[in-house]
Amino acid sequence: MFGQWRSVAKEAVDRALIMAEFCCFLHVIPNYLCSSTIVHGPSMLPTLNLTGDVVIAEHVSHRLGKISRGDLVLVCSPQNPRKIVTKRVVGMEGDTVSFFLDPNFGDRYRTAVVPKGHVWIQGDNVYASNDSRYFGPVPYGLIQGKVFFRVWPPDSFGPLGKD
Amino acid sequence: MFGQWRSVAKEAVDRALIMAEFCCFLHVIPNYLCSSTIVHGPSMLPTLNLTGDVVIAEHVSHRLGKISRGDLVLVCSPQNPRKIVTKRVVGMEGDTVSFFLDPNFGDRYRTAVVPKGHVWIQGDNVYASNDSRYFGPVPYGLIQGKVFFRMFFAIDVQRQKMKLDSQFQFLFPSEGSQTISFGDDFG
Repeated sequence: MFGQWRSVAKEAVDRALIMAEFCCFLHVIPNYLCSSTIVHGPSMLPTLNLTGDVVIAEHVSHRLGKISRGDLVLVCSPQNPRKIVTKRVVGMEGDTVSFFLDPNFGDRYRTAVVPKGHVWIQGDNVYASNDSRYFGPVPYGLIQGKVFFRVWPPDSFGPLGKD
Repeated sequence: MFGQWRSVAKEAVDRALIMAEFCCFLHVIPNYLCSSTIVHGPSMLPTLNLTGDVVIAEHVSHRLGKISRGDLVLVCSPQNPRKIVTKRVVGMEGDTVSFFLDPNFGDRYRTAVVPKGHVWIQGDNVYASNDSRYFGPVPYGLIQGKVFFRMFFAIDVQRQKMKLDSQFQFLFPSEGSQTISFGDDFG
């Protein structure tokens, strides 16, 4: 009888291990290859809608260093580490970026040089976007992925890229 | 014969899938639970040795927000995204940190407030550490893990000590360290 328990326990451990492996597989694919995300908010109008779009993001390019100006990226917010935001890369390291201090009125603008290892991200809707103009350049290591396709809403189905 | 090819192909795909799942398992464990790393460099003396220590790091705490002052953390360097450095968390968000502008001489110091969502990291060896005193506070999202255990001490430090000049003696830790020699042809 003891032998029966041992074989049942051994089979249970084997099956649990297979389940754990499969869960790891299910986790690695979205995090290292391709995942779908819901993005919402006004900061990327008119590219992305206010009430929510379903986009496909790939997580390969940023690990290979293939992010460049004009890419839509998912970035871990420097102000809240649990939040991931979607912005456009406007400047890479070494670039000089200029932005209006207040886009609503006035012509005063500021210029900044993006330091080594950082990127400058901005939302397409400069009137309602909390981005590098407020929290400064973002370390490249915070980039989580690159958005390249939109799935929902169906009338906007299609690739997303540099403008 | 075609049916034989199909069954062979199906079995090949099944086995490849099982191998892929196992590789994912092997990858997730070090990245999400516990991993071992070799750390080297002078910036964390006397805590960590110059020539290399094998340390165990866990990757759970930073995801739960349980990093606090005094923790040894692995951080993605803000200057080079491919490099991971080991430093100590000296200040959390909202803290006020003070540091000497030049620790070798002078009393001039600067004070900084750590902004929201950031941490202030410093190496224990303030004379030879490139840390938040130079590149500013680091976003919390760059923390990769927390170091909590050391396995080996000072890999072959005695051999390295003999090769350097006597003026470097003060950099090395006290006599309490053990040495593990990896062979005669080291360095």
